[in-house]
Amino acid sequence: MGSDRHRRAIGAAAAACTAVTLLAAGSITVRAAPAWWSPIGLSGTSITGVSAIGGTITVRTGSGMTLESTDAGRTFQPVSGNPALPPTGRVTSGGTVWSIDAGGRILRAATASAGGGEQTSVPDPGSPRLGAGADLIAAPAALSGVVVAVGTDGTVWRRGQDGDWKQALLLLPQSLVQGIPRVTSVTAFTDPLSDAVYLGTDGYAVLISTDGGDDWIRAGPGLPGSVYALSADSARRAVYAGTSDGLWVHVLQTLPAPPAYQDAALVWRWIGIGAVTLVAAALTLFGMLRLMPRRVNEPTP
Amino acid sequence: MATDAAIARVRRLREAPWWPSAATLVIAELGLGAALLVPITFSDPNGVDPYLARLSVTSVLITLPALFVRRLAPARPILLALAAVATTYTLLSAGPQILFDLLGSHSGSFDAQVFWASLAQALGTLLIAAAAWRTVAPEWRPTLRLRRLGWGGLATGLVGSALLIGLGLAIPAGVLGRVALQPVAVGRDFPWLGPANAFQAFAQEVQFRGLLLGALERTMSPRWANVSQAAVFGLAHLAISYGGPEAPFVPITFLVGLGFGWLVRRTGSLWPAVIIHAAADIALQFGVVAGLYGF
Repeated sequence: MGSDRHRRAIGAAAAACTAVTLLAAGSITVRAAPAWWSPIGLSGTSITGVSAIGGTITVRTGSGMTLESTDAGRTFQPVSGNPALPPTGRVTSGGTVWSIDAGGRILRAATASAGGGEQTSVPDPGSPRLGAGADLIAAPAALSGVVVAVGTDGTVWRRGQDGDWKQALLLLPQSLVQGIPRVTSVTAFTDPLSDAVYLGTDGYAVLISTDGGDDWIRAGPGLPGSVYALSADSARRAVYAGTSDGLWVHVLQTLPAPPAYQDAALVWRWIGIGAVTLVAAALTLFGMLRLMPRRVNEPTP
Repeated sequence: MATDAAIARVRRLREAPWWPSAATLVIAELGLGAALLVPITFSDPNGVDPYLARLSVTSVLITLPALFVRRLAPARPILLALAAVATTYTLLSAGPQILFDLLGSHSGSFDAQVFWASLAQALGTLLIAAAAWRTVAPEWRPTLRLRRLGWGGLATGLVGSALLIGLGLAIPAGVLGRVALQPVAVGRDFPWLGPANAFQAFAQEVQFRGLLLGALERTMSPRWANVSQAAVFGLAHLAISYGGPEAPFVPITFLVGLGFGWLVRRTGSLWPAVIIHAAADIALQFGVVAGLYGF
């Protein structure tokens, strides 16, 4: 009698395991997305500046050397004359030149339609004073009129498409003993490839905004926390990050999202989920009935 | 001989006043855990897996019989508390989509939808609390402790909120993701999501420290009742992101649950815990910058 019961229990358990295994085997494996950031070179070297234009990557190392790569970062050669990298306080995007003057004012100028000349720069109405020496500004060409700029006090400002300037981001201290990380860089694609604005920090890696600076997400998985420089290269659809541990690249890709299944396996998943739910509820009830005291003197509610 | 002694011991345990509550809690948690975790073996929690819905269905399937089967009457208050947790959280999670499906563009912004879903969670919890009041016998009926607050309770809530937020700022930023404030988003979202978080905190306090702790302490020692509700509170956070990045926070939420339970018992009021919980949720909502994969 007892052995019959055991046999039935073992049979039921084996059937359940088989069903779960078949369901698992029948389900389609989700293909892993490409890494958000990948190291491409100069591992172990501190990179304090990056400029990537037209497929050429120029970097400035922490020891003050300027290196150049024309093969997507596989190899680097010293640049003759060891020049400094171009200033970061000026960007041309969507027919407008945005710049920060020595006093920290944000200026704008329209590029002439022919000849590539530039009209006189004027302060953008309502723009904040970023502080003398401020030099971080970006303007994604895909969002006309949007500008993100960083003050010397670390405040990140954004200009909406309506021309309204607002504080967009205030970094918080890293811990009780570490202070607020420095914002080191900001970049965006100057061709209309992506809405994203990338913000580099010395502590919180990289943050991204895809709605012109209103909302931000942490987007530095894999990267060292200390990011010293960012540069977006439209030609390679890539963003390069100079970090405390070499040069990294992010190739333009969509933000991670839940996969959508449209296959027959979906039906089996749902059937399996429903069956598990029913069996779990039935076993729970059975267990409770077995474990409750047999005589219950229920008081009147 | 040893087996007989063990059987006799189990029989004696079954006569203990705390046995029905403890057995219900353990078995129900195992059942809900199985319903939550077994499908991981063949499903994708991020894609097609309605894990909250199946938790709700399981909780309802095990609670309904307890309302009618006499032998399960002692399990009723515990099962109602668990059903309140599961079903109203599903309501909160699915609420925005339900509103959009029903009302289309008239359902307002996503923030507004979350607000209404949070209100529904709070009202749903109160509805189940009312059901517990009507269907559970007085000697097993949970003590909700909603009647009094007082200046002392208010002060405790405010000081506790400040301490908890201070603790959050003391923890390294990377652990919580509390890396920045986003003033534009705060100005846009706070009018809806501030009250929404308060409703959610209220609902969860009624569920865990009201219904569950209030029911457990009817049959258990206060200490065991508190540990038990805190354990359920911690495990419930496993379900929030379904084994995702929040799973390591289960021990932390267990400790927070212990603290809230102690506070509720100490002050004799649910409200200080509601205030602190709401402040913590609001701080997390606006101080934590989401990551690429949600958290």
